[in-house]
Amino acid sequence: MRKALRDNALTLFFLLLMLGALVGQALSGHSEYNNQQVAQGGGTVSLAHYLTTSAFAVDVSENWQSEFLQFFLYIFVTVWLVQRGSPDSKEPGKEGTESDADQRVGPHAGPDSPRWARAGGLRRTLFANSLGLVMGGLFFLTWLAQSVSGRAAYNSDQLAQRQDPIPWLDYLTCAEFWNRTFQNWQSEFLAVASMAALSIYLRQRGSPESKPVGAPHHATGVEG
Amino acid sequence: MGGKGAPVLLAVGLGGCVLSGCATDQEEPVAAAVGAFFAAVERHDGPGACARLLPEAAKSLESGDSSCAQEVLKLDLKGGPLRDVQIWGQEARVRAGDDTVFVSRWGPQWRVAAAGCIPRRDRPYECDVEA
Repeated sequence: MRKALRDNALTLFFLLLMLGALVGQALSGHSEYNNQQVAQGGGTVSLAHYLTTSAFAVDVSENWQSEFLQFFLYIFVTVWLVQRGSPDSKEPGKEGTESDADQRVGPHAGPDSPRWARAGGLRRTLFANSLGLVMGGLFFLTWLAQSVSGRAAYNSDQLAQRQDPIPWLDYLTCAEFWNRTFQNWQSEFLAVASMAALSIYLRQRGSPESKPVGAPHHATGVEG
Repeated sequence: MGGKGAPVLLAVGLGGCVLSGCATDQEEPVAAAVGAFFAAVERHDGPGACARLLPEAAKSLESGDSSCAQEVLKLDLKGGPLRDVQIWGQEARVRAGDDTVFVSRWGPQWRVAAAGCIPRRDRPYECDVEA
């Protein structure tokens, strides 16, 4: 048990943080939602009811989609683009999907390689891209969820302001949908760009996200 | 099977509520609230009509010595056959004859938030009474 906790501490820590933050968002969102309801002359709702509202769903999904997009892009783009000096980047000259020998697939797979890395055809192609595909799939699903819940929340606001609700396709061209989307995307892209650039010159001793403290600034793909 | 089915049903149910605000099972109570409001107006029951309004909407009709119960009967609200019920979250819109009515959830009930509303191009509806 203790070993399992230690072996999975990183995932568990962030899952717990996520749950704590989600509870915080639910409580503060509920309070804000009821304040708005009262300001509009409407009735308040319970916390349990608030958790089923489109207002809560869109606030959650708009953040989730941008996080999955960030990792999806980072995973795929770092196949082809490098950043000299970054621990997250490959060495310049190694751009691309690399050779089967480098990637230990097919006949180059070792005895401890995953079964689908030894396989050929579609199974190997799928497994070789599984991380990016799942992140990309989660991005599209959560973005779809944002569009559906966002439209429901938007239509509720429309009615509260004595205006007609709109169809889903109209919502996809609506400024509100794109404003919610872009305000999340820009912050994710800034975080990735600053991580890629700052990790060239700055260090965090002991972190695999950083180069070793004594590694030269031009060293690329070296983890501490 | 039952153990696995329950979370799926819960997820579908919650998903449905997120998408439509649990609209289908609320159409009847929304229509009933609008119907009761116009029925009270039709039988010149001012207090009854005002009891179906959101408190803020009822208050908006009060001025000086004139009460909501008196003012609501002067508005020439006719209503008509109810159709095209749209429910999104805590808000709803119903067509009542030539009239458009906006309804809001008030605790466990639905109450009329705006009535006597006519559409305006690219602008909110203009209403005779609203919260």
